[in-house]
Amino acid sequence: MAFELKEGLFVVDELKNVSIKIGKVIEEEEEWTEPMGPTPKPDILALRKWDMKLLERYEPFYAPVQDFCNLCTMGPCDLSMNKRGACGIDLKTAKARLVTIACCIGAASHGGHARHMIDHLIKEFGEDFPIDLGGDVNIEAPIIRTVIGIRPKTLGDLREAMEWAERELMRVLHATHIGNEESLLDYESKAMHVSMVDHVVMEIADIAQIVAYNMPKAEPDTPLVDTGFGVIDKNKPVIVVVGHNVLYSKPVLDYLEEMGRLEDFEIAGLCCTTHDMARVGGKGSSKIFGPISYQLRVIRSGLPDVMVSDEQCIRADLLEACKAMGIPLIATSDAAVRGLPDVSEWPVEKIVDALVSGKLPGVFLPDPEKVGQVAPLVAEGVFKKHGGERKYRFFATDEDLWNEINKCTQCMNCVFTCPHNLRIDQGMEHAQKTKDLSKLAKLEEQCIACMKCEQACPKSIKIINVIMASNFERLYNKTGKTRVGRGPVQDTEIRNVGQPIVMGQIPGVIAAVGCINFPDEMKSLREIIEEFIKRRYIVVTSGCHAMDLGMIKDEDGQTVFEKYPGNFDAGCITNMGSCVANSHIAGAAIKIANIFAMRPLRGNYAEIADYVLNRVGAVGFSWGPYSHKAAAIATGFNRLGVPVVVGPHGTKYRRAYIGKYYKPEKWWVYDIKTRKKMNIEPAPDSLLIAVETKEEAIVQLARLCIRPNDTSLGRQIKLTHYLELSQKYLGTLPDDWPIYVRSEADLPLRMKEELMHILESEHGWKIDWDKKKIVEGPIRPFDAGFNPTLVEEVYEKYAGEKPPQ
Amino acid sequence: MAVSKEDKYPIARRYQIADIQVSREATAVKPNVVANLIKKAKRPVLVTGGKLLREEKLVEVAEKFYSKGIPIIATGGSSRVLIEKGIKPQSSVFTLHYVTQFMLDEDWKGFDGKGPYDVVIFLGFLPYYLSRMLSALKHFSKMTTISIDEFYQPHAKFSFTNLTANKELYYRMLDEVVNGI
Ligand code: SF4
Ligand code: SF4
Ligand code: SF4
Repeated sequence: MAFELKEGLFVVDELKNVSIKIGKVIEEEEEWTEPMGPTPKPDILALRKWDMKLLERYEPFYAPVQDFCNLCTMGPCDLSMNKRGACGIDLKTAKARLVTIACCIGAASHGGHARHMIDHLIKEFGEDFPIDLGGDVNIEAPIIRTVIGIRPKTLGDLREAMEWAERELMRVLHATHIGNEESLLDYESKAMHVSMVDHVVMEIADIAQIVAYNMPKAEPDTPLVDTGFGVIDKNKPVIVVVGHNVLYSKPVLDYLEEMGRLEDFEIAGLCCTTHDMARVGGKGSSKIFGPISYQLRVIRSGLPDVMVSDEQCIRADLLEACKAMGIPLIATSDAAVRGLPDVSEWPVEKIVDALVSGKLPGVFLPDPEKVGQVAPLVAEGVFKKHGGERKYRFFATDEDLWNEINKCTQCMNCVFTCPHNLRIDQGMEHAQKTKDLSKLAKLEEQCIACMKCEQACPKSIKIINVIMASNFERLYNKTGKTRVGRGPVQDTEIRNVGQPIVMGQIPGVIAAVGCINFPDEMKSLREIIEEFIKRRYIVVTSGCHAMDLGMIKDEDGQTVFEKYPGNFDAGCITNMGSCVANSHIAGAAIKIANIFAMRPLRGNYAEIADYVLNRVGAVGFSWGPYSHKAAAIATGFNRLGVPVVVGPHGTKYRRAYIGKYYKPEKWWVYDIKTRKKMNIEPAPDSLLIAVETKEEAIVQLARLCIRPNDTSLGRQIKLTHYLELSQKYLGTLPDDWPIYVRSEADLPLRMKEELMHILESEHGWKIDWDKKKIVEGPIRPFDAGFNPTLVEEVYEKYAGEKPPQ
Repeated sequence: MAVSKEDKYPIARRYQIADIQVSREATAVKPNVVANLIKKAKRPVLVTGGKLLREEKLVEVAEKFYSKGIPIIATGGSSRVLIEKGIKPQSSVFTLHYVTQFMLDEDWKGFDGKGPYDVVIFLGFLPYYLSRMLSALKHFSKMTTISIDEFYQPHAKFSFTNLTANKELYYRMLDEVVNGI
């Protein structure tokens, strides 16, 4: 006898010869007393009202890269000067659509990864495998709780969130079809929606891998992992992994550990897979070669004996590049098969032989366990062939290098195709005339090894090799330490910092995340970040930014990870992990609302985002964003009320959200305490903004940490940093500082009197000098009970009445 | 020294070969044309970028603009070196991204509150960053934009030609602009 049950609670007496298949058991909700909020599993329109609130203030800004569209066969259409195409769409709306598509791609990448992860892990560990993130993490999945309205307890539970995400992604992608949205605001709302999906799927992927692979669980003092070119022991076979999905490369560690042969190999990686290898390996069994811009550096150095690629951000000419150096490639992800034959049915020996002998330049092997065996054997086989004598100097001889340099005619074709307009011509000319390579060597610090210049060069000069060889010693001896990604923030850490963040005594949380398309040398990133660590902000990082920081040393030879602790606390720097670990940064902001302020999370997104926007002084920072994922991550943060500062290349995402401080009618909230709708200071005054220089980045980050809810002491501390940093880097007080002053208590102590004089003489404020008080001038007075919200329903919930008009 | 008629100007080669749009490309202009455009403007303003922190000559040029009564909006941290020279920029803290957003707003009265700027001159920017802002201004505003950077900026209304290979000529052209206003 067999029967199938749908959903529900069942009691079955006297089970005999009965087989039961249960659709899904609804668990008893005995512990979760939190009431369900208004928007569990929100559909594509559920949060539109919140989005429109944001978009009304933070007006979308478009900077077209093309003014034409060729998405359908009615085109191409000239949309310049905001004209409309044959389908009726105008340039701004077309750009909004394009950004929505970019965010869809980003969310789909993390989502594809998450889906793959949970399916694989459920198969391996079972759907009941518990989600246990350690004793210090009770709020296991803050984003999923807030968005989906569930508390996932097992790997199987994550499927519910995943299914919602897949459905919503499909809906948003649908909306980008020709003939759908007419308003750019609706596209922006959809971009925000799918970017919130992105945050959910990042959380799914990272939680799943943390619990199943036993990665660090919210540990502040994770080990330090060797980072940089110089950490590679060239006397061992070298296995290099690249990409974002550790599922395929982890078995390499497992296999070698099982064989007791970890010591015999060098395993290193590029980009997020290497973060996650360090998280699963922990004990230094794998190293970090460098960020994604190191791909061609690494390959052309000839150091790898085998490359294992998975997915996302990897060069689309990886096979070509590996082939040119005789490095066998194992492609593993179905998202990047690279035209290679699928050898999953082949026996291990046959695959190894094909790759070591060079019969095949690469294979597609989507079977993780086999990858675990094949990669080491191939590396060993290749190593045996060269016996450790790799051709790893970019050029066989110095003469070859100079021959290449001497070919340059200074035509500058390379300069006009380089994303940074690097002056390769000048470097070459200087070397030709003086035999000094220093100008070329300097370019190495900024070159992202994209290869565009080489294709533009009429003399076919191997420009990347010239640049790398010119800085050979420094590049090859670059060593450093990155703290292994720690995953979530502890509830206890939030308990300690929640109040000082919301009150403003901890001046802000700076999250440096993302890719490597930096506007200048890598070391600027450290300068920017360290300014905030020293000023006792909370600094967190992840992805390529984290591994860059792991390579930049100070005069004492220390990276920030060696110098500062890894806690989520003032004056520390925390590495969360890979791209998908960015979810824990959003998660930390959400947890502050819940743990410190007791705001319910369950299906309650708008209230939480409103809380974060008004109270949590967190700012995202991406000095060199380039991927679609970065677009989705940033937009997801924006919907959650977290502003993001990007480097100048970030303007090529085409869209920003920039408010206008001079329009007072845009800056208002409902105050639940006074029951009034009131004007407030424009803080923060943008949700997505680009900066050009490190000086500008530092000042903007400090500036965007200000929140309406700051206490006087908090505002005073935030303004102190903002004003000091502005004086240091801009040479003057910032233009807009008075708009953040609510009373004399907000003023930085050291400059109080001086600032009051300026307010009086330059801004016409009235000061009572006997009492040393501001009498007239501020946008609003300070009120300790100020309780701001932008959301009518939230107002009603806490005020018990309809909001004032 | 002024740029003489005999000087051959390099061709207007886009700073980035692939930054192409179908609508008009900037008219490559000689310094005297730039000077005339500025002289005829009702509300001209010079916007300076981060390159001023690394290139002394650009600071000198901005200083001369200022001494001739052209106000300056300083971005990218350039205010520091300008203030050291006694200049008071109209704004120091807003990034070019902000400034462009404000300029796109026809209701904006400028940082001094005296009404919208009509002619905007850009000096000292990362070319790809300036290009995006010029593109926004081209498509969504009526503003006259002039780039006097060393890279030819296709999306400005007027731009210096490409002078990256000839710094000397570039500097002479800058001098000629400031001498002509
Ligand atoms: S989608 Fe619209 S604007 Fe684009 S090519 Fe087709 S008709 Fe033209
Ligand atoms: S490889 Fe380096 S130098 Fe060449 S175009 Fe790319 S970033 Fe510029
Ligand atoms: S394109 Fe080639 S020949 Fe021309 S300047 Fe660049 S490196 Fe020299």
